[in-house]
Amino acid sequence: MTPFEGCPGSRMMQFRSSVENKMEGSAEKIRSQLAQWPIQMHLINPAAPYYQGADVLLTADCVAYALGDFHREYLKGKSLAIACPKLDEGQSVYLEKIRAWFEDSKINTLTVLIMEVPCCMGLLQLARQAAEASKRKVPIKYVVVGVQGDVLKEEWAAA
Amino acid sequence: MDTYLNTGIKEIITEFPEVETILNDYDIGCGPCSVGICLLKDIVSIHQLSVEQEKELMERIAAAVDPGKEHPVPKTRKWSSPAPPKTRRYSPPLQKLVDEHVLIKRWIALIPEFVDALDLESEQGKKRILDGIDMIRSYADKYHHAKEEEILFKYFDETADILKVMHEDHTRARSLVKAMQKALAENDKKTLSESLTAYRELLAEHIRKEDEILYPWMDSQLTDRQVGELFARFARVDQESGIAPETYEGFVRQLEAAFQ
Ligand SMILES: [Fe+2]
Ligand SMILES: [Fe+2]
Repeated sequence: MTPFEGCPGSRMMQFRSSVENKMEGSAEKIRSQLAQWPIQMHLINPAAPYYQGADVLLTADCVAYALGDFHREYLKGKSLAIACPKLDEGQSVYLEKIRAWFEDSKINTLTVLIMEVPCCMGLLQLARQAAEASKRKVPIKYVVVGVQGDVLKEEWAAA
Repeated sequence: MDTYLNTGIKEIITEFPEVETILNDYDIGCGPCSVGICLLKDIVSIHQLSVEQEKELMERIAAAVDPGKEHPVPKTRKWSSPAPPKTRRYSPPLQKLVDEHVLIKRWIALIPEFVDALDLESEQGKKRILDGIDMIRSYADKYHHAKEEEILFKYFDETADILKVMHEDHTRARSLVKAMQKALAENDKKTLSESLTAYRELLAEHIRKEDEILYPWMDSQLTDRQVGELFARFARVDQESGIAPETYEGFVRQLEAAFQ
């Protein structure tokens, strides 16, 4: 019998090896590059093994729908968390989790993907705030995605 | 009005309902938004209005929130920089090296006066020369060039012409330092002046090549993983180097004050 592991939707899983970072030919079906579960910021554990020393993507919820090549261009080889800076409750928890990525999980880089809408900037602010509160510094990149799926800006934030 | 630029749009509309109508005229439909935490200034700048439209919009909002008053038209970010300057953004580890170049550039800018004031007679004069050479050996070479040669350049094909040139420049800089030390020991003011001047010319051009050509190219090649690694490795070697950049900044600041 499998021991009870709580809500199956938030159960931690790691399946990077089964995803494999293989590039598909254009005729082939595009394979998911997601290598972990869960991904929602309230559900993730910042100390999960797949965040250790990782290049982490913090993505606004809408981005993956807008950005056609999200999996191949951005998610590939990265660990993920998603959030909505506009609607999510309890974002102080997010702040603490991002700080834990920096200080405890010693992530390598953080890439914040946001939509062009102004409220989305909140997610980048949150990352910056966490960076300020953290003793360990990490390069932060931000990518601004247009609602039609174009990458409007991709830049490293000032350290 | 400036306060309102930093206020959530819902709050503004609640207080001044006519603002909603004004925004609608520019197809900025914030009224029905149930959240409305976006700041007025962000809303205006993100909607990419023309400069004239934006000016007109801000004048109308200013008149609505602050009626009957003469007010300077508030500026959003777009006004302060009409066409956003295409400033180069380096990745954080390369930005660190560019920042180090700034101090080196401040030092080499002082070399002409430094050479004019060379004093090989007094203890104080000799001390200043030794400090200048130490700035080159410890800060520019051990602290800065070492990060380039021992870490950054290893991420690239070191047989590439541009990297060979960079290595040669570093080597030439080192031989100039040797010449300076020898000249100082031999009280040879002429050779000392020539070596310092040659160093200045070499480094000014070298830094320009790195800032404008090499680093932007490297940034376009580095993966995020490599950027993070470089950043961490630079921080580690800086810590282990035992070199305090503040010491050298102090030296440069003192010279700047002396030559002003
Ligand atoms: Fe160099
Ligand atoms: Fe350099």
